[in-house]
Amino acid sequence: MSVETVVTEDDLAEMVEQVWASYLDPEGVNPLIPTGDDKQTTEVHSTVSITGTWHGHLVYASSTQAARKAAAAFLAMEVEEVGQEDISDVLGELANIVGGNVKAMLPAGCFLSLPTVVMAPDTASYYPAAERISGLWGVWDGEPISISMWQSVKQGETA
Amino acid sequence: MKILIADDSRVMRQIVTRTLRQAGFDGHDLVEAADGQEAHDKAQSEQPDLVISDWNMPEMTGIEVLRKLRAAGNQVKFGFVTSECTEEMKSAAESAGSAFFIVKPFTAEQFDEVFSPILG
Repeated sequence: MSVETVVTEDDLAEMVEQVWASYLDPEGVNPLIPTGDDKQTTEVHSTVSITGTWHGHLVYASSTQAARKAAAAFLAMEVEEVGQEDISDVLGELANIVGGNVKAMLPAGCFLSLPTVVMAPDTASYYPAAERISGLWGVWDGEPISISMWQSVKQGETA
Repeated sequence: MKILIADDSRVMRQIVTRTLRQAGFDGHDLVEAADGQEAHDKAQSEQPDLVISDWNMPEMTGIEVLRKLRAAGNQVKFGFVTSECTEEMKSAAESAGSAFFIVKPFTAEQFDEVFSPILG
């Protein structure tokens, strides 16, 4: 089964919009604006893996500044007070929240891993057995953010 | 009332705490657990009136915690706040005796709706 028919870029955008409305932009004044700019670069990322009836990864990536701002919003702190651990925890939670919502749209019988956070660009992590099948690129307060889904190549071939 | 907040994410424990406050539930005694085992142990030792638990946690999942508590005769009011929400999970939660199922991301309005009957 191809997940593209199950979780589309629009679905991801809707999930992200909910996260922004709940935690990052409750006033509705500073949304994540999709740009489709696949050339944008990120500096940090987090991943949750999904296994079971569907195999793959959900990857959340952003600039360090966007991650710092997200941490400040999540933890109700000033941006200047945010530490490395705060950034790491918030990045993990962002992947976990979006990944959990993605899982709900996949066929029954999937399992979600705990998040992995890497303080390096998303290009630093290679998913040798998976390919990018869906995702969005956007800008939040001038900072790049991307959310992408990667599906197991092996599963994609047999689907 | 004493409320046990179980989530392996420090961020989410803080957000649950803040959202409870935003929803108007101030003045309760809050206890935290950072994994499933700690949640189980504190649900027994701290004797909370309410457990708000994540589903996916290290050591023991939230549903395992709930089942183990019920098997031991502990009838504490217990529910889930989780990013994962499938029909099979909801059904498993209900069968195990869960009182509520809140999906992340959540709002203070949702907390108000779910917790008003419990916390008053």
